[in-house]
Amino acid sequence: MTDAAVNDVSVDTRKSGRFLYGASVVFLCAWVIVPIYFLLINTLSSPETVNSFPKPFIPEFDFGSLQFFAGFSGMLTALKNSVIVALLTMIMSIIIGAPAGYALSRFDFPGKGLFRMLILLTRAFPLPLLALPLAVMFIQTGLDDTAFGLALVHTTLAIPFAVLITFSLFSGIPIELEEAAWTLGCTRLTAFTKVVLPLILPGITASAIFAFVISWNEVFAAAVLTIENRTLTAFLLQNLDTSPLHLKFAGGFILVVPALIFIFAVRKYLFAMWGIANR
Amino acid sequence: MTLHSKITGAVSGIAVSCIAFAAQADVLFWSTQAKPVEESQAMREQVLSGAGEVDYQPNDPGPWITRLNAELQADSGTIGVLGALHGDFSAMDPDDLVDLSDLGVMSASSTFNDLSKLGTDSMQYIPWMQASYIMAANKEALQYLPEGADVDALTYDQLIAWGQNVMTATGEAKFGFPAGPKGLKHRFFQGYLYPSYTNGVVRSFASDEAVTAWEKMRELWAVTNPASTNFSFLQEQLLSGDAWIVFDHTSRLAQAFNERPDDFIAFPAPAGPTGRGFMPVLAGVAIPRTAPDMEASKALVAHMLKPETQIATLRATNFFPVVDVDLPGDLPPAVTAAGDAVAKMSGSADANPGLLPAGLGDKGGDFNRVFVDSFERIVLGGQDIRAVLDDQKGKLAAIMEETGAPCWAPDAPSEGACPVE
Repeated sequence: MTDAAVNDVSVDTRKSGRFLYGASVVFLCAWVIVPIYFLLINTLSSPETVNSFPKPFIPEFDFGSLQFFAGFSGMLTALKNSVIVALLTMIMSIIIGAPAGYALSRFDFPGKGLFRMLILLTRAFPLPLLALPLAVMFIQTGLDDTAFGLALVHTTLAIPFAVLITFSLFSGIPIELEEAAWTLGCTRLTAFTKVVLPLILPGITASAIFAFVISWNEVFAAAVLTIENRTLTAFLLQNLDTSPLHLKFAGGFILVVPALIFIFAVRKYLFAMWGIANR
Repeated sequence: MTLHSKITGAVSGIAVSCIAFAAQADVLFWSTQAKPVEESQAMREQVLSGAGEVDYQPNDPGPWITRLNAELQADSGTIGVLGALHGDFSAMDPDDLVDLSDLGVMSASSTFNDLSKLGTDSMQYIPWMQASYIMAANKEALQYLPEGADVDALTYDQLIAWGQNVMTATGEAKFGFPAGPKGLKHRFFQGYLYPSYTNGVVRSFASDEAVTAWEKMRELWAVTNPASTNFSFLQEQLLSGDAWIVFDHTSRLAQAFNERPDDFIAFPAPAGPTGRGFMPVLAGVAIPRTAPDMEASKALVAHMLKPETQIATLRATNFFPVVDVDLPGDLPPAVTAAGDAVAKMSGSADANPGLLPAGLGDKGGDFNRVFVDSFERIVLGGQDIRAVLDDQKGKLAAIMEETGAPCWAPDAPSEGACPVE
């Protein structure tokens, strides 16, 4: 066996390794992009094209389906409500969830294991089961039909994710960093805001996105707890499943786009997690 | 997203939610019908435009009943008028609905008016609109009709032979059946197959005639597009060509006729040994006892029953009027096609109408389940028909005994709960 032969083998492995890597990247991108692309094509197609097969790969720019929704009364209000509720959910679940995650990772207290368990339990009960007593209570307290009330419910759904994500983030940051800050004159709070927070910002963003998407996608509670202030999902999603195909596509597109825009807007915080910050 | 804009968002959110309390003068029309976006748009713009300030909100049955129950429990309501199917109302406590007998409006059919009393002495809801299930076919399929068959007077055997001919000619099974998750297959068994073969639904559930009926269903399934377990709105498959001959609810076929009126025909359901079974569908409007403005709600109910509103509703939803009206000549193609088929079906000499299940209360879903499970076990699972029916019979009998529901047509009337024989 000569050196040349060994080199050939390692070049080959590297080549096929690179090929496999490239193929995986292409596959994963296609996994996400192809469905969205088909959604776009069908949204911009006439009803006849939507019902025909095979589907074209280039949209024909027929705006009929989108125009229908432009004239659909209540769309904009519902969109605005959805954004408000999702933002409120995001803020509240971080404000409540992050300190809980910090406490779980930094302090030992009796019942810690049980507490972690209980947090997960909030996801154990299906909403259709909880919605009736919740709605009764909301009507009696006056929270009914408000963005804030709905955001409270969505926050409850998002908190387990917020707590568990932030818990593992805080656990990943050595306590020594904080201790060093304390010796240099920081209080617990300033050590947290000056040292820990910048380090975990990407993680916080990730759990914020989770909270946003959970709230954005939730239908049942939104449909029961809001009347005048319907969210976009409650307003549209229930009606789409029985609508003609071309309107299903257009409606789906309208539901997906704002969430996509939001994720693009916060993506730089997310990418900072992997050391390619602020692009 | 900067911190600043987040705070702005939060503040404006709280502000908006406070304002939302102030204005609520509209009558809230809380409905399970006219749900597809085009239909709800038409309800808002055409049907309800002359009825004052109405907020029309169509919902899935789950949120619909949950919200309603919450308002009833809290004794404080925002819902002014309810719109739903007979089955939804029969699942409710009649005390929660306002008596409407003194309103002075009712449907032209005494059967419907009786149904709307929900077993009490007064009308708990007012019949609002009606529909039915019919057959539809692509005109290309007509050339394969078996010899001597009249498309307006088919039998189940001819339908199966027709499906077989199409399959032989095209190499594909092109009968379409709404067996999808949201499909209305149970209505086919309750209102079409069973009345046509056994002249009953509950009494004859496990009879020998029922075994024959399920054997025919198996034969029909053999010429059915196997993807039917995903079909819930056969208008889509008619338009895409996946199915040529289909059975479905009139409003779930409407889009096909409206988009390509010249390509499809509508015709009555087939007949079996005991007649041409078919099921009328009835929707009604009611007022919950918690309605915030009773007068406005009553005015809206009365508005829904006006002949011109009924015609507008027909255009919007493809549900037919329940009062006597002169239908104008310029109706959409789907309405004329479906109307003709329903008229032929109910007017045929061997018509054998099977009413909607009544008196089952909240067990209506379990009742449907019995039929759907039987279908899945017999037709999809290939289990022995007699064994499955004897097994399911016990479940059906338990439901009937628990609810004490008396028999409905075409079953012979019963004293007390309808027996499973």
